[in-house]
Amino acid sequence: MQKKFFLLCMVLVALMAFGTAAVAQDDVTLLWGMWGDPAEIATHQLVADAYMAANPNVTIELWSQPWGEYFTKIDTLFVAGDATVIPDVFFMTPIQDRAAAGVLQDLTALIEESGLDLEDYWPGALESTSYEGVVYGFPRDIGIEVLYYNKDHFDAASLDYPTDEWTWVELRAAAEALTVKEASGRISRYGFAMEGGKYFDFVGANGGLILDDMFNPTQCTLSQPEAVEAFEFFAGMMNDEIAWRSANLGQAGGDLSVFLGEQASMFIQNASRVPALNAAGVNYDVAAVPTAPGGTRQAGIANGAAWVMSSVTDTPDAAWDFMQFLQSPEGGQAIYFATGEAFPPTRSGAESPVFMNPERGPENKQAWIVGAESANINGFGWFPEYNELNGTLINPVLDTIWAGEAQAADVLPGVCESVDAYLVEHGYGA
Amino acid sequence: MEKAALSSPPPPTLMTPPLRSFRQKIAFRLGMGVWRADQQFEGYLFLLPSLIGFLLFVLAPILISLALSFHEWDLLTPPEYVGAANYTELFTNDPVFGAVLKNTFWYTLLIVPLQLVLGFVLAVALNTGLRALRWYRMLYFMPVIASIVAAAMVFRFLFNQQSGIIAAGVWQTKELLLGLPFVQASPQLLDSVQGLAPPDFLNAPGQGFLPGWAIISVTLFTVWKNVGFTMVVYMAALQAVPDPLYDAAKVDGASGWQRLRYVTIPLVSPTTFFLLVVQMLGAFQLFAEPFVMVASSQNSVALASESLVMYIYRNAFGFLRMGKAAAISWILFAIVFVVTIVQTLLQRRWVHYQVD
Repeated sequence: MQKKFFLLCMVLVALMAFGTAAVAQDDVTLLWGMWGDPAEIATHQLVADAYMAANPNVTIELWSQPWGEYFTKIDTLFVAGDATVIPDVFFMTPIQDRAAAGVLQDLTALIEESGLDLEDYWPGALESTSYEGVVYGFPRDIGIEVLYYNKDHFDAASLDYPTDEWTWVELRAAAEALTVKEASGRISRYGFAMEGGKYFDFVGANGGLILDDMFNPTQCTLSQPEAVEAFEFFAGMMNDEIAWRSANLGQAGGDLSVFLGEQASMFIQNASRVPALNAAGVNYDVAAVPTAPGGTRQAGIANGAAWVMSSVTDTPDAAWDFMQFLQSPEGGQAIYFATGEAFPPTRSGAESPVFMNPERGPENKQAWIVGAESANINGFGWFPEYNELNGTLINPVLDTIWAGEAQAADVLPGVCESVDAYLVEHGYGA
Repeated sequence: MEKAALSSPPPPTLMTPPLRSFRQKIAFRLGMGVWRADQQFEGYLFLLPSLIGFLLFVLAPILISLALSFHEWDLLTPPEYVGAANYTELFTNDPVFGAVLKNTFWYTLLIVPLQLVLGFVLAVALNTGLRALRWYRMLYFMPVIASIVAAAMVFRFLFNQQSGIIAAGVWQTKELLLGLPFVQASPQLLDSVQGLAPPDFLNAPGQGFLPGWAIISVTLFTVWKNVGFTMVVYMAALQAVPDPLYDAAKVDGASGWQRLRYVTIPLVSPTTFFLLVVQMLGAFQLFAEPFVMVASSQNSVALASESLVMYIYRNAFGFLRMGKAAAISWILFAIVFVVTIVQTLLQRRWVHYQVD
């Protein structure tokens, strides 16, 4: 009797050991970090639910913060070093400083193992998520911009709609024709609205650059003729009162608000405005960002917030599988791009029926693909000191150009002097 | 009965506790623990929780920030000792710090007197025994308790050069003026009216050292927001002025203005001193008002309206330069410290404390 009982106990213990071992091997919990407002978090939750439905042994826990606090909180988590509370996969932009600090996982080995086709990504997209030639993340979407326009305003003024072949000449002519000026001199509707911060759409199209190399700059190139011409074009539209002044635009609620309030007829922005415009039932369409008279186009910067993996994750394979799901046109992309609020980072994603859905506005979604063909990431400085350089030396002076208090040709040489001095001080100069 | 001017302990000769041990006698002679010299230990024990909180959450961070101001730290990599480099950079190599100091100086110079004077005027007006006193008091105090971010956003829309109501008012005035016959008759007048346009209330910097529209708009908003507090504090102080003094002044033939100048103002001067110091501290540390009203991006300095604390925030969280941000905050501390010392020294001249 006792011997049998003893044998039974041994069998039971063995079973339990195997059972727990088997369960412990497969059950994974991934912590997934992102920023966003409640509506965006709800979309992320849908993606997590879809993945969990397809992979019952994986639990995805969302870790979300408002955008303003997200970066500080992630940084403090890494400083504290407790791997159990650091998200395994999370949103990050830009990634260079954090890659340099060693908190992000090098994805080269995982990419090779899974045979991922990196050529599917638009030019420049992966450059922004790489550091020293190594890929650290994949952009969820990229900020390619288009020209939004109000078809009713164009009809009322008997103007032809913008086409994907427009240049600055046509843009300016349309802005002039669409601006409505009252007898007192007040402008009740501007033809064109664009944030001053997007000036590189004009500078880049004209062949100009902010710094000679946006990864390892040696000098400032804003005072070169191509750049100055572009500034004079953009600021000229503001000074001639056919485009919103940048500061007023931002303080009045941004391009979407003034477009919805019929105080602007055209604006340049990325895909994020699409859901609100569709919901409001505005009669609008989009066209590719106008090229410079010479023919090149700069439709925004080909970067976007990227999904990265923490370097201290204890489940890299599970995290990688989840990352691939996020980027696949049938997986995460099918949910993220359903509302049209973002543009896919891959060609396959952009041409998929999810993004190109003919039943969802705007009609000319091809405009994004036209813009993405010439994508690059030259509008942003990919080195740690760029924020300070931009925020103290470049932008405050550009603000005076947008406000009409200074002329581009007069102040840009001074900007370049101070930028060059800063670069030398911080070890970047020639 | 007699009003005690200050709360000092009663003279020891009146109430000496029984001193039993030698230790107690020494403690008593040294002025420590007059009452229960044998329960000092328990006393400190009761103080300990509060003391620990203060040490951990107030004193330690202050000392750490002082140490941090001599380092360079971007949160991701360990701090690096750089000596006084942050301080020298601020005073010799920072393109923006001068504008920041100018803005903060003007904010303090404009906001504090306006708030004090307006608050005092309102308090005197409401002290005349109006029937609807409570309603007026509530109306003037409501901005104080309103959410600062919501209020600043409303004022941002109000002051917008293109789409704001004030700008619209300027345009309508211009239309009105253009319609007047005597304006149309004179070409000079017509010219100058034609040139009327609303200024950039939220973004225009001033010429040289002068304050610009941006500073004035933020000042107007801050005064609107806080004058209710000043008013309420003054109302309490006015209640404490004894009526017999007014009667005596009337008997002596003093007019309303003279009563105000020679009775009211001196007797509320302690309150004025308190409000002056507290509001100066607040004005030097102005952050939410300019930050929300002007709404510049996190990483870009808005030269026309950037205050010291805004610049600290940008350096810390926009540019990831914690050491420099700590250095700026210690410079702010030094400025505020000096100003407060000066005010405390000057108070003997103009603050009349009541001593009965």
